[in-house]
Amino acid sequence: MTPDTLALNNEFVYDYLKRFVQEELHTSGFTEACIALSGGLDSALVLKLAVDALGADHVHAIFLPYKASSAESKRDAHTMFEFCGIPWQELDISGMADAYLALQPGIDRLRTGNLLARLRMAVIFDQSKKENALVVGTSNKSELLVGYSTWYGDMACALMPIGDLYKTQVRSLARHLGLPQQVIAKLPSADLWTGQTDEGEIGVSYETLDQVLFLLVDQRCSSAEVNSEGFELDLVQRVERKILTSQFKRVPPPIAKLSQRTVGIDFLYPRDWRK
Amino acid sequence: MTYTVALAQVNPACGDLEYNVKMHVAQTEQACEAGADLIVFPELSLSGYLLKDQTLDVMRRADCPEFAGLRELSRHIAICAGFVEEGEDGIPYNSAFFMDAGEVCHVHRKMYLPTHGMFEELKFLGRGKELSVFDTRFGRTGIVICRDLFHPLEVSTMAALGVELLLAPSAMPARGFGGEELAIEQTVSLALGSASTFLGMFVVYVNRVGFDDGLGFYGGSALSDPVGGITVSAPRFEAVQLLGTIDTSHIARHRYQLPIRREEDLAIVRHALETRRNS
Repeated sequence: MTPDTLALNNEFVYDYLKRFVQEELHTSGFTEACIALSGGLDSALVLKLAVDALGADHVHAIFLPYKASSAESKRDAHTMFEFCGIPWQELDISGMADAYLALQPGIDRLRTGNLLARLRMAVIFDQSKKENALVVGTSNKSELLVGYSTWYGDMACALMPIGDLYKTQVRSLARHLGLPQQVIAKLPSADLWTGQTDEGEIGVSYETLDQVLFLLVDQRCSSAEVNSEGFELDLVQRVERKILTSQFKRVPPPIAKLSQRTVGIDFLYPRDWRK
Repeated sequence: MTYTVALAQVNPACGDLEYNVKMHVAQTEQACEAGADLIVFPELSLSGYLLKDQTLDVMRRADCPEFAGLRELSRHIAICAGFVEEGEDGIPYNSAFFMDAGEVCHVHRKMYLPTHGMFEELKFLGRGKELSVFDTRFGRTGIVICRDLFHPLEVSTMAALGVELLLAPSAMPARGFGGEELAIEQTVSLALGSASTFLGMFVVYVNRVGFDDGLGFYGGSALSDPVGGITVSAPRFEAVQLLGTIDTSHIARHRYQLPIRREEDLAIVRHALETRRNS
């Protein structure tokens, strides 16, 4: 498989995603968007798309650091606010996080990371109410598929413009749109603890992960077929397991059916339902 | 004969019949003023596409009171538009009507309702069982709705039955963003090219734009001419109304130049099918 298989016509994608943000908001009766900016590439790209779709005056971005967040995150978030011409907004979640963490001695890194993601969710949703805005999500396809995200944390949002773009495609689109180099080039990190990187945690580079995912998911290949494309079987099976074990995050919780019409089973309406 | 067709590449509101009827009236008046003889709207243009359980709320007969304004306008311009038809059997169908001279002349029920992957049409809608071939003042006319266009056997049969003008209202979602054009555009180009080049038909392909939830429809409506190729080509993603000219003399000229229609021998097909059936 050549790397080109994942290549996109970025101009089409940009045009299409801008229209998606615009129309999904307007159909729901909103003009304002709220975005939690982390200093990373995904939220940077979503911010750029939202600003171009709605205008800078209609996008409310906030940087939500915890005391352990890296200085680079703040610097890069700042760069993006400037790049998009929107006023700097920061709300430190250390106080509210530490109030709970103090009650949980021995809490591990994963629980702490999830807690921070869910506190940010609580803040961004409250801010969206204040601004009469919808929360625009920043999850990409790679992390949605392997479950590298916090359920009801960073996954919580009203729409996901880049949810069908692999991380390497996110980078390519960001480059096409001229986002600041320091934001594009940085090592992807959830920044939940010092020195954390996505690739360290997932155990593979995004370049490789995305090609394996593309073959498994988009091309519907078996693990043996992916293996024959030159990817180690052990890695391919590890990726497959990640997809399987994170399925619960990608679907609404099952509802026990009792009646003739059950929400999610046979009470079926589009999200853009208007009466 | 030369006439003008308007391609109404619109963005219907999902489930909002009232809004969509008003939009159709405005589009039709605009086409009328521009001198068009026929206006073609996309698939399910009066109802929206991703209806799910709204299907029951928006199903109507083509002669329903809500469409009276359009029937009235059809005294001045022929109209082909998509709607959820309430069948006489009580079943909702994905249909398109053809109105002219104040009357509903024909209703086509989509025959091939995609139900796989992102599509779930058969979950909510009934299957049409008949090819639509009917005579209008524009010549022998056929309607195929979206996926119907991708069934060459049916389109070929319509050609064999004398169809010269094929109306193809569609709601094709964008996908395949890797190339200079979308992957779905290439598929549609093949279908249009084959109908015009090999079957000598004019094809009026009208695809919608806008989003129903995450499905984005790409537009790219086109008029395919047996002689001239694609003579009208609408932009991607943009709501727009474009006019095209159909010169029916192109049909005979094309069929003389490339006489596939003259060569065609349906007896061969019939024989093959019968042999197969009996074996």
